[in-house]
Parts: sequence; structure tokens; C-alpha cells
Amino acid sequence: MNRKKLLFVLGPITGLVMFGAVVLIATFLTNREYKDAYRAPSEIADTTPRAAGLADESAAATATAKAKPYVEVEYRAFPVVGSRVAIWAVAQLHLLFAAFVLAVPIFAVLIEAIGYKTGDKRYDRLAHEFTKLLSVSFSLTATFGAALTFMLIILYPKFTNYMMSVFSPTFLPYVLLFFAEAFFLYTYYYGWGKFHPLVHLALGIGLNVVGTSIMLIANAWLTFMMSPNGISDSGALISAWDAIYNFTWMPINVHRVIANVAFGGSVAAAYAAFKFLHATTDEERAHYDWMGYIGNFVAIIAFLPLPFAGYWLAKEIYAYSQTLGLTMMGGAFSWLFIIQAVLIGNLFLGANYYLWLGMGRVEGARSVQRFIKYLLIAIAVCFMVWATPRSIIATVAEIRAMGGSSHPILGFLGVMSAKNTAVNILILTTFMSFLLYRRTGKTATVAWAKAGHAAQLLIFAAAAIIVISLGIYGYFVEASVRIGLSVPQVSSVLFAMVSITTIDVFLFRRPKQSGEVRWGRMPAVSQYVLIFIAVTFTWLMGLMGYVRSGLRQHWHVYGVIRDTSPDAFTPTLGFATQVVSLTVLLFFALIGFVFWLASLHDLPDFEPRTVQSPHAPLLAVDGHKAEGSS
Amino acid sequence: MKIPHSVRIAGLVFATTAFYGYVGQLVPQREVQPPQETVLRTDMTTADMVKVGGELMASKGLCLTCHTIGKTGALRFPDLAGVATRATTRIPGLNEIEYFAKSMYEPDSFIVPGFNPGMPTINKPPIGLTDQEILCVIAFLQTLGGTPTVTLQTSHHYYTAPGAAPAAPGAPGAPTNATPTNATPTNTTPTNTTPAVTAPPKVTR
Repeated sequence: MNRKKLLFVLGPITGLVMFGAVVLIATFLTNREYKDAYRAPSEIADTTPRAAGLADESAAATATAKAKPYVEVEYRAFPVVGSRVAIWAVAQLHLLFAAFVLAVPIFAVLIEAIGYKTGDKRYDRLAHEFTKLLSVSFSLTATFGAALTFMLIILYPKFTNYMMSVFSPTFLPYVLLFFAEAFFLYTYYYGWGKFHPLVHLALGIGLNVVGTSIMLIANAWLTFMMSPNGISDSGALISAWDAIYNFTWMPINVHRVIANVAFGGSVAAAYAAFKFLHATTDEERAHYDWMGYIGNFVAIIAFLPLPFAGYWLAKEIYAYSQTLGLTMMGGAFSWLFIIQAVLIGNLFLGANYYLWLGMGRVEGARSVQRFIKYLLIAIAVCFMVWATPRSIIATVAEIRAMGGSSHPILGFLGVMSAKNTAVNILILTTFMSFLLYRRTGKTATVAWAKAGHAAQLLIFAAAAIIVISLGIYGYFVEASVRIGLSVPQVSSVLFAMVSITTIDVFLFRRPKQSGEVRWGRMPAVSQYVLIFIAVTFTWLMGLMGYVRSGLRQHWHVYGVIRDTSPDAFTPTLGFATQVVSLTVLLFFALIGFVFWLASLHDLPDFEPRTVQSPHAPLLAVDGHKAEGSS
Repeated sequence: MKIPHSVRIAGLVFATTAFYGYVGQLVPQREVQPPQETVLRTDMTTADMVKVGGELMASKGLCLTCHTIGKTGALRFPDLAGVATRATTRIPGLNEIEYFAKSMYEPDSFIVPGFNPGMPTINKPPIGLTDQEILCVIAFLQTLGGTPTVTLQTSHHYYTAPGAAPAAPGAPGAPTNATPTNATPTNTTPTNTTPAVTAPPKVTR
């Protein structure tokens, strides 16, 4: 059997195997249940004592079954991996695809708008390329969403009932918005180039509004579980709006929008890297290099303010419950933030490395490349500080020698003062990398260029000094004062980023170009860096999703519905990271499928290859007579 | 042999994921079990209550998540060393038992100068200590710079022990050391001889 025939039969066989699997699962699930006895026809019924005994047994079983009272089931078990892991994996996959589907339209519309405004068709093509990834991802989001809903109803019926009773007013709007999102998404994608650009942009904006609204509703459910509000002491609903607008709802909304854009940008950049690596022409390489750069730019620009949104979320968690806050930062989850530091450190390193490699695209980059070594040192030092734990695992002798579980010197780097300082300097350094990349191959020609450069340097130095000084000051003050110091630290970094960028925009108006950007002139390793960044972002989302959810510990709804299932305990971080790793691998297997499907779009339609036989009419290679032959 | 890019990408995804999974194995591994319900004997002595109170503070009460005992420096919440001595003078008219009770039943009604509000109401979920468990915690706190005097029959402003006269509304000094002999069991397991035993987690709802 040749390959084509094999492929031809593979489809139906796969379908049959899947049907068989469904039947097998259904049989497995129903086999353990009571069934009505088979009623034999009276003419073949015998009257032996054994038959009478069997009939009695059957009648007794029927009577018992009929008398069975209805009891609401609290939990049902999922085979092999247990209910928690099953829900965890499905919810995580749903959230990852949902994040991607929500994020891509945000920057696709922005890029399309830039294209419309500038008249540069490349932007339009780029935005269209991004949206190619949406339709299949949307289907996968919906599929995992449906799976999650069914699994919650089946595995956690009592908890789900409670959530439904509290949030019943939100379900119909949610479903209607979902229909609206399908309408906008498919019209936006399939209507590309078919409408007036402004109409098409309006469709894109509609898609974003509807998608964000869906996210806001879903966020209300999950934040209520963490910081319930609008209910009585016994859990009865008092105000649906208060339940929605709970302590952590708005911080999560903001955090998620930003994080989704960062994540979506990184995955889109990974797609561009995938296409770049498989490109066969210089034109393709140039396009996908540019696409990867834009995707990564979106990811990193969104990533920079993310720690600040995280601070706000953490602040609201503390404001809602100090116990919850301390469980997060000082209790069972404190070590999770060391893992987070490794991830974020890698993200910063990867993003900066990609930018530094990108400088090679531009002729005359040598003048700015000499700064890279200093940036690398700053990033490495900050990374090490951030990843230093407060207390370390040590033997009894080592603990005695250190005088406690904290190292006498390094222990000082494990506290929030040091970590806040490190992350702010990391952000400033990455911002500096962007700035250097931006001005690679350009020379300012404005009259006030020298003063502009000096002002930028001054602002940068002032921000760095403020951040470091407040970090040191934090060691000498009470906690109530120390917590407040993060605000001026963050504010000075934000001020520096905004003001330096503003100066830079005017400084480099009509610059003298010392070299052109040669898109596509990037080493292959740069594309693997983009993929590494996307995997790291995804893993980070999985990890932070775990801490947000796991923070409730043995509560489904914190302080209201207690988890009494066998999974009520909080697992070890090692176990959690295994589950996160598994879901990340599943996600990339599926997103790889999405990439492959999106790539099909660019392929020419299938046509049988033809061969010219000297003795026969034009024949297709599979033996069919080709078009046009007689 | 040239390895195809698709294989390299798959390898990179797998290696990166495996690396982060490995980092997750390097940090301390601790499985946190839900706090188990403490069943109190009705004939507990004050010494028994001190022991139970200490255990509750470290487990179900979550007190030591925030508070320290014998630590100095820049603290987030008040250190509890010597708290029994300070408690007698914190609020004029309140003895240490009333002060401790007030701190747990109405934690925001008095904030120790220099600290921020943040203590949860201890007799409500998610912590949800019972009145008797709170008495045990008070007994333990009394040992930190003082002498424990609390029994399971002690009443205070927020709790009237069975058989004892209720505290006057708003009165700070309700009976503190009353030990009526006809006290009814609180949360009983009469056959139990240990001060505290564990039972399956309580279903709140």
C-alpha cells in the first residue's frame, strides 16, 4: 500500500478509534452502576427454588434501588490523576488559549491602525498574519472552556452549584458575549480586505471590547473564590455586584490584560520564529524577522509594567486578608517566588540577548554594542539578587554556623527591599537596551542634541539612585514604612521610562542614518531565543496561575466553602511544577498544530504533479489522466 | 547530519520546560495539610489548655504566620514575647484576658501603635477558632510574661461560659476565673484522655 492510500485510510481509522474510545469510557463509567434486572419472558421462566431465590434477590435489589434517597454529591473522583490535576490541566489550557485569543486582537488592531494611518501595507499584512492564528485558537479555547465547565459540574458539583447560585446573573451575558465574540472574530478575520479599512478596524475594536468583557466576567468568578464579597456570613448572596467587584477583581483584570498581551506577543513572536526558520527566501526571512521583532517588542513592552500590576494585586490581597497575603509571601508559597525569579530573570536575559543580537541587523551598530557588557553585568547582578532566598536549606551544622536559616550576608539579599530594588533596576536596564536598539545606526541632528542626551542620562541616573537608596533605607525602617517605599521606587522607574522615551522621540526626529536595517539578517539562534521566551512566558503564566489558585489552600471559596475532598491539601512545589510543565508541553503541542494550520494558508492549492511520458499522453503521477490531455 | 528545525524547536521546548520543572524540585518541598479540628476535653486543666493553645497558635489559628515570639527588629506584626505583661495596661479598664479576647474577636478595635491593621477576626472563617479554642490561646498567651489563669469555664465580654452569669454589655471586666462545677461539656469526647486530638476536617457548610 503506498503512502497516499495509507493516508486515505488513516482518517476513518482514527475516527473509529476515537469512537471506540468514547464507547469504552462510557462503558467503564456505567458498568459499576445498578441496572434494572433483565426480565425474562414468562414462557421461559422456570420455577425451580434457585430461580425463585434469584427472583427474590432481584426484587430485593430493585426495592433497595427504588428506596435510595437523593443525596447531593459533593465530589466525584477523576480516574488515575485525580480531580484536582484534571481540572488544573484543563483550566490552565483553557486560560492559555483564552489569553492568546484575547491578546492577539489587541495588538493586531493597533498594527492595522498604524498601517491605515501610514499607508504602509506591510503593517496590514503583519496584522493579518497575526490574526491567522486566531480562529483555530478560538475553537480550542471554547473546547477547553466547555470541558472545564462539564468537569466542574461532574467533579465538584456542590461547589459549582454554589458558584452558580451566586453568579447566576452573569451567565446569560457571558453566553451572549461569547456569540458576539465569534461574530466579531470571524468577520474580522474573513473580512480582511473586504470592507473599508475603517469598518474593518471597527470590527477589530468590537472584537476587543467583547473579548475583554468576557474576561471581566470570568475574572469575577475566580477572584470571588479568592476574596469573596457581597455575601452573608453563611455565604448567602446579598449583592451580585459586590460579589463581582470584590477586592481582587480590578487588579486581576488589569494584571491579566497586560500579561495576556505580553504572553500573546511572545507566542506570536514564536510563530514568526517558526516561520523564519522554515523560510526559503530572503523576502520571507525579512518578513518573519520583522514579525518576530514586533511580537517580541509587544511582549517586552507589556512585560515591563507587569511587576507593578503585580504589586497592586498583592497589595489588594493583603488588604483583603493579611493571612492570605502572608501565606503567599511568607508561608507555603514563599519559595515559589524564587522559581518565579528564575523565570523572570531568564525572560529579561532572553529579551536583552535578542535585542543585542538584533543590533547586528543595523549597519554601524558597533558604537552602541560596546555598552552591552555593562548591561549584561547589571542584569546578571539583579538576577542573582532576585533569586537569592531569604532562608536556605542547610544541615544542622550549617545552620549553627550561620546562626540561623538565613545566611549572615546573603540573607540580606533575600528580603523585599533587595528584591524590589533588583527588579526595578532590571526593568531600567532592559529599557536601556531598547533605547540603545532604537538609536542603533542613527545620530541625532537636532540643535539641542547634547543637552537632550545629558537630560536622559541624568534622569536615568536619578531613577537608579532613588531605587537603590530607597532599597537600602528599607532595611532600617518598620514594615509599615518599608512597604510604602515600593511606590516611589516604581514611580521613579515609570517616570524615567516615560520621560526618557519622550525626549528620545523628539531627539531622533529626522536623524542622520549611518546604516540601514537589514531585516532577515539574523542568526538562527535569535529565533530560538524567541521560542525560549515564549516557553518561559507560558511556564510563568502556569506557575502564577497556580499560586493565585493555590493561595486559598483548603478553601474552594476562601473562608466560605471549605474543600473537604481528598485533594484539600496543598501539594509540594515540586508536584505543582510537574503539572505546570505538563500543561505547558500540551499547550505547545497544540499551538504547534495551530502554527501548522496557519502555515497551510500560504501553501498553493494541491495539484497532482505531472510527468511527460515520451510514449503516452500527459499523465499525473498517480496515474490519473491530467487535465488537458486527450 | 543536519537536524531539522522542527525537531530542534521541539527539543528546545522540552528542554526549557524540563529545566523549569527541575528548578521546582530544588526548592524545599512541603505539603500543607488542612488544619484538623481540635477536640477539647471538658476536664482540661489550665496547663492542658496552655499546651493546646500553643499548638493552635502554630496550626489552625495561623497566629505564628504573622506574629513572632522573641524576635526584634523591623516587624510586620507585634512580637508576642512578654505580651501578658503589656496586655494588662494596653487599654485602661481591661485585664489581660479581656484584652486578648478583644484582640481576637474584634481585632480592628485596637491597633498597637506602630503597626497597621491586618489581623483577621479569629472566631470567623477562614480561621474560625471556637470560643473554647480561643480560651486555650488566651491561656498560652498568659504564659508569655505572666501566669495562666484561664479555665474552660472562664467568661469574658464575648463569651459566657455555660452556667456562668453573662458579662454586662460593654463591661470590660466580666468574670475571668469562675470555675463552676456544673459546667456542661463544650466540644466533648469524654473518653479522650489527651488534651488535644485530631479529627477529620470540619465541613463548614
